[in-house]
Amino acid sequence: MNQAEVSKLISQLRITMRPNKRHLKNSEGPEGRLLKLRKTVTALVKHERIELFYNRADEARGYAELLISNAIRYGDRHKATMELADYWLLEKQLVHKLFKVLVPRYENFSSSYTRMLKAPRDYPGIYYKKSVLEFRGNPFPALVPDYTQNRNLLHNVLLDEARKEFRREQLAKMANKFAAETAAPPALATQENDAGN
Amino acid sequence: MAAATKLYKKSLGFFAQIQQYRSNANYTAGASIRTRNELFNEEQRRQREAVGRIDKIEVRYLGLPEDVTLVMNSHISTPYNCAQHLSEGHCQRAVLALLDGSVPWDVHRPLQESCTLQLLNFNVSEPHVVNKAFWRTCSFMLGAALQRVFKEEAKLQLHSFPSPNIKSGSFVHDIVLGAQNWQPTKAEMRAISAEMVKLAAQDLRIERLEVDQELAKEMFKESHYKSEQLPSIAQQNQSRVTLYRLGEHIDISRGPMVASTRFLGKCTVSTAHKLTDEGPSNAFYRIQGVALPSGFMLNHFAYGLLEQRSQKLNSARLPNEPFEDQRQMQLS
Repeated sequence: MNQAEVSKLISQLRITMRPNKRHLKNSEGPEGRLLKLRKTVTALVKHERIELFYNRADEARGYAELLISNAIRYGDRHKATMELADYWLLEKQLVHKLFKVLVPRYENFSSSYTRMLKAPRDYPGIYYKKSVLEFRGNPFPALVPDYTQNRNLLHNVLLDEARKEFRREQLAKMANKFAAETAAPPALATQENDAGN
Repeated sequence: MAAATKLYKKSLGFFAQIQQYRSNANYTAGASIRTRNELFNEEQRRQREAVGRIDKIEVRYLGLPEDVTLVMNSHISTPYNCAQHLSEGHCQRAVLALLDGSVPWDVHRPLQESCTLQLLNFNVSEPHVVNKAFWRTCSFMLGAALQRVFKEEAKLQLHSFPSPNIKSGSFVHDIVLGAQNWQPTKAEMRAISAEMVKLAAQDLRIERLEVDQELAKEMFKESHYKSEQLPSIAQQNQSRVTLYRLGEHIDISRGPMVASTRFLGKCTVSTAHKLTDEGPSNAFYRIQGVALPSGFMLNHFAYGLLEQRSQKLNSARLPNEPFEDQRQMQLS
């Protein structure tokens, strides 16, 4: 009856997890699979950008997100969070990085903490989809070119000019309206006078 | 049934002439285009053979992956050939070349002397030159698309296109049509846009050729407006005229233009404004459109705003306006 709302018990992921099977079978069973994921999460926290097979990246991403959001939510004085960090980070110096570097970086983030991009695969090679998994705000050069900042690029020139023209039109409209209003009162006054008479 | 077909024919109106241009044999215009192309080929061959003894020039390439010096052939090697020494990616991405850091140069135009070379694309930090060349190429391609799309009965004559001005929001081509009250429908404009996209898909190389005024006159003798413009254009450039060719279409332009039609991405030919009547049955129309280079993503709302803006009449010099000074005449 007085059950707590389950969705509030754990922090919500900021990424969409698709209910797809990710085929991460391992000869050592679930433990081996989890060890692989722990290695991936550790490598992600350590290097901030890693390139790996898509399925493994997709699975590990959720755990990395959860780890960071819990670290932000409960801080480093929380036993359960510390245990979680201890479990996922195989190299223990990274626990310090998590609380001293990543938590301050992501405290005020409204988006997800990680970004995942599809990567090209070798041809001919193993036919597994590849991807790049990275932390947002990492120190490396951007992977995707940014076309928004350079205002001299063709589409930005066109959009800026369109914006200027729109503003000019709005101003002209306002000026016309103002002119019409300032011209109107004498007409109103004469009407009132007419009414008074 | 007969009545129905009659009605249908009526409703199609003037622009029924626009489609199926290929099936409708375009004899006279086709012949003049063929001779023009033959003259172009001949002159191209003559210029290539006139090079004679091959001189070597040193071209200092500046840019990625590293600065190198290439030894090329004077009057034969083009910036494209230099790019071929670098990588396939350089060949595909080179839109325009910049010689000695200041002179824009067509990618397929032979180099004259030793110089430094930069290969430009649309994403460089200062893309003004490339943008301008792209806008000019759009106007030129629009001419080619119109030539392909109109039937003989429409009596299309290309007039000219003014200098590219990106800030005006639209590229322009001025034409003369044998109809004084053509109101283009959306479907008709879309047909022209589709022709532009087809041109882009064909990946046609844009060739440049400088010819004598006499030869240019010979090439454009069928075109009333072009032969009218030729003397003043030649006067500006020591009686030489710069021609550009795209597929079969040849036009006069100062250039430079981008290397290939492939660089045209999103494209909309938005309106045709009637300017004035010309003679008893013809009229000047200004065809306008907007385009983005290939690889530039823009969401459809923002692009819609650009399309809307491109429908306003472009304020570039009108084709029927007299020039204040003949020297001022700039046929782009």
